Amino acid sequence: LRQIIYQKELKMLNKNFYNTILSQTFTPCGNYLVLGDVYGQIWVFHLSKIIKPDNSTQQERLPKNVFTIEEDVQINSLVTTDNFLVVGTEGNVYGYHWKVIKSMKECKPAWKVTIPSNRDKLEKCDVNCMTYNKSTESLYLGCGDNNIYLMKMEAGEIIQTLNGHTNYIHSLCNIGNELVSGGEDGLVNIWDTRIKNIVNKIEPSKNDKIARPELGKWIGAVGFNEDWLVCGGGPRLSMWHLRTLNTSVIFPIENRGIHIAEFKENRILAGGTADYFYNLNINGDVISEIPISSVTIFSAIHQDDPFNVLCLAGSS
Amino acid sequence: MVKDSTSIKKRRKNTAPTENEGEGDIYTKVVEFEEKESAQRAAEDDANIYFDLCKNIRNYLAEVLLLKQENTNESRGRIQKGLSESCVMIAVLKKLNRLDKFRTITSRENLNTEKQKVDSTNLQYHNLLYEAAHLASEYTKCKQFKSKDEDIELVPVETFLQLAPELMTQQFKTGELTDAKRHQLHLAMLEWELTQRKAQAQLCDTFEEEKKHLATDIVALKNRLEGIGPKLTAVLEASKPLQEYLGLPIDKIQAEHRLAYLLPEPLYLLYALTDAYKQVYNINMEVEILGDYDEANQWKEMHQSLDMKVDVESEPEADQQEIEEVVEVVKKRRHRKISQVDKNEEKKKVLLESHPLCVQITMNVKSGFVLKVKFMFRPQLNIVTVTSSTDVPNTITANTAREALIGESILNELLDEDFGTESPNPSTSYQLQRVGFTSFAALVPKLGFAYNWAQKICGYDFLSIDKNQCNKPDPACVELIIKSIYRRLKSRIDLALQLQHLEQNLIPTIPDTVEYPKNAESTLTKWVLYSWQNYCQLPATAQLIENEIVQATDLFYSATISRPKATLQAVIAIKNNYPLKSPIFSLTLKYNGEFHGGNSDEIRDMERAVNLGWSTAISSASWVLSAQLRHLCSFLDVYLESLTPSVFPQKTVFFKSVSGRNRRKPFKFRKIGAGI
Repeated sequence: LRQIIYQKELKMLNKNFYNTILSQTFTPCGNYLVLGDVYGQIWVFHLSKIIKPDNSTQQERLPKNVFTIEEDVQINSLVTTDNFLVVGTEGNVYGYHWKVIKSMKECKPAWKVTIPSNRDKLEKCDVNCMTYNKSTESLYLGCGDNNIYLMKMEAGEIIQTLNGHTNYIHSLCNIGNELVSGGEDGLVNIWDTRIKNIVNKIEPSKNDKIARPELGKWIGAVGFNEDWLVCGGGPRLSMWHLRTLNTSVIFPIENRGIHIAEFKENRILAGGTADYFYNLNINGDVISEIPISSVTIFSAIHQDDPFNVLCLAGSS
Repeated sequence: MVKDSTSIKKRRKNTAPTENEGEGDIYTKVVEFEEKESAQRAAEDDANIYFDLCKNIRNYLAEVLLLKQENTNESRGRIQKGLSESCVMIAVLKKLNRLDKFRTITSRENLNTEKQKVDSTNLQYHNLLYEAAHLASEYTKCKQFKSKDEDIELVPVETFLQLAPELMTQQFKTGELTDAKRHQLHLAMLEWELTQRKAQAQLCDTFEEEKKHLATDIVALKNRLEGIGPKLTAVLEASKPLQEYLGLPIDKIQAEHRLAYLLPEPLYLLYALTDAYKQVYNINMEVEILGDYDEANQWKEMHQSLDMKVDVESEPEADQQEIEEVVEVVKKRRHRKISQVDKNEEKKKVLLESHPLCVQITMNVKSGFVLKVKFMFRPQLNIVTVTSSTDVPNTITANTAREALIGESILNELLDEDFGTESPNPSTSYQLQRVGFTSFAALVPKLGFAYNWAQKICGYDFLSIDKNQCNKPDPACVELIIKSIYRRLKSRIDLALQLQHLEQNLIPTIPDTVEYPKNAESTLTKWVLYSWQNYCQLPATAQLIENEIVQATDLFYSATISRPKATLQAVIAIKNNYPLKSPIFSLTLKYNGEFHGGNSDEIRDMERAVNLGWSTAISSASWVLSAQLRHLCSFLDVYLESLTPSVFPQKTVFFKSVSGRNRRKPFKFRKIGAGI
């Protein structure tokens, strides 16, 4: 695994100095890295140029394309489908054709879906996370209005709404028919997509060993495979057995908030507001740790080919 | 004897002419007869007779002798006979002699006549010879003779034929030119030439006359003009009271202009441009020339003849001489060193000297704030240096406020990266090295700043070492510079006013057009000046310094905002071109530990909210800092209240304490009702 720590160098104190990357994704061909930041901008980079810095010049390492989706609106989540780059911002979901993203021209969205909101327009509803199910071609949106929406790609409309949280949703994870969601209210809900209902729920903050009241009870990230579920946030990163919902391992990693927890093969990738990004095994041992320069990592994505990379991005 | 007799006879003839007339006739007849005779008788014959006679005489004498010896009577008779015979013979001899004489005379006469003839022919011959020679020489002379007319340039024949009057030329136009005609032609041409030349000479004379006239006219006019000078000055003197009455200070302007002519070139250019600018725009600005008139005059005369640069360049030779001489005696060496040092000091002085005149621009803004900018020209270094001073009214007492306004830093970075500590003239470094100075920056306190824009408005355009500078806007425009100085002054004054309030821990008032949260629990508790070293040591500022956003030449302050139990220390860097770049805050929160942008996302967010998004117009200079501070106060409130609402009761209005995946705090201010 290789890593990229991304920094922008500028001599002017402008917004890029204080930029934070909230979401990343790769293009379907795997050659480009797409980033979304808190100012509503999408940055497209050539992966090969960045990975081998000796071969490329400063000029080539600059973004291939930068465009703004909406001014001053956080881009909370990015998802790659075969045809589109799906962007979740505050209140809207946009879809962009890949050709448009990779070219240098003005980017216009191919489609846009507005999240229905019944509040007054003062606070827009963030689309905090999205996950895409390839087989059913459906997109799950976890939003700031405490709901999870199901959207079908062909229809381009929201089909279903799942209520189950009392505060906004931080993270979603979907494998097959199971969907796990974690939110600011401290709940981890396990849904069955066929029946569209909560099957199980966990509240890690209720566990004394896991809970960290000084940080809060919010769950920043959830991840699961067939047997195990891992989650963390304000509470410590912990692993639970899916069926029995028993706590199995509490990971002793130093942090002040988990924003990323993901299963990769037999290992767990975890990170957040910490000095390191951790690679852990299911027994709770730290296999490797990567030092990070930003305060918090909000997004970690990986791919195996054409480049074997892990990209970490956050508040820097 | 014959001669005597003839001469006696002739004498007799002469003395007795009357009685000798008849004798004369006889004589002449005799002579004639004798002449004939001599002519007739052959000379040879006579010669023979003579010889015979002589012989006979000799024989007779011999006989006589014998006879005498005999001495008988017969002999005496014979002697007598012989005597008479001999007498006769002698007479014959005489005759013969006479004849002979006649003959010689006649032959002589003939000879003479012939001689005379020969002589005359000879003479004639000679005469002819001479004449011939003479003629020959005359001939050659003639041949060599160049008539004066050959020297005279004549117009070519064709032109002559065209230009001369018809009468003359007609005979030449027809028929072939024989020699005679050619001669005629030549003569005619000469004549014509003569007439033409006469005409030209006349023309020349008339022109000369005219010229003389004009010359005298000119002289007269000159005299008049010279007379006008003093009259005009008299008029000016007389007009002074009128000027005062009308308020046109023409005299003062004249005096200034007179001084202006003595300014060195770059300063003169500056003076002219700024004067023009002032007149056009009529703003509160004054341009004056400071310095002594006489000194300037002296300086000008001194430097007009000398080429000062030659002196400096003769240094290497002087150095060599020094080295050679050092090889000498020790005593002398010491002496040499002293003079060497002196020379060096002198060289330094010479290098750094400035022209006695300098231009000062005084700008007035608001009440009591006066900025004086003085431009001095350094001829050796060939640059213009600037010193500035500000007069600040007594209302500004705060240290920090004064700091912002006082002289030096006020003109720093008027244009990008122009600190004035490096001489824009690339040759200055060589000159300084030669004399022993290390760098220009060390001399700045003495000389003043050498700003790039100062060089440009004085007309100097040096090649800059940094190529990137070529793309920047051309500050040769005086207008631009003066406007930017004004803006700088105004913004600094605004800043100073704010600082004045802040030092007393009062956040100054902000105009109503700007939105800001009005109610905040946290208050400003301290405001002090901060140093660059301290700034660098704070962890909160590490990122900024690393990215070279902040530099040692900016102004630094430290503000403390507190609410019971929690303090927020903000270190503020204000750049020289405030408010074009808004002040940069670096925050450190002390509550339950120390948090700053490097270890806390929320503080980083707070920093972002307070640093970015402000208007950079000049007009905002008066409130940007205050607005930032006010916002910061309410941010602190929001943070603390959202963090632990139990400890800090919520006074500010915000909807959600956290939102979004990054759990950000609501630091955005929107004015709705009382404010959020």
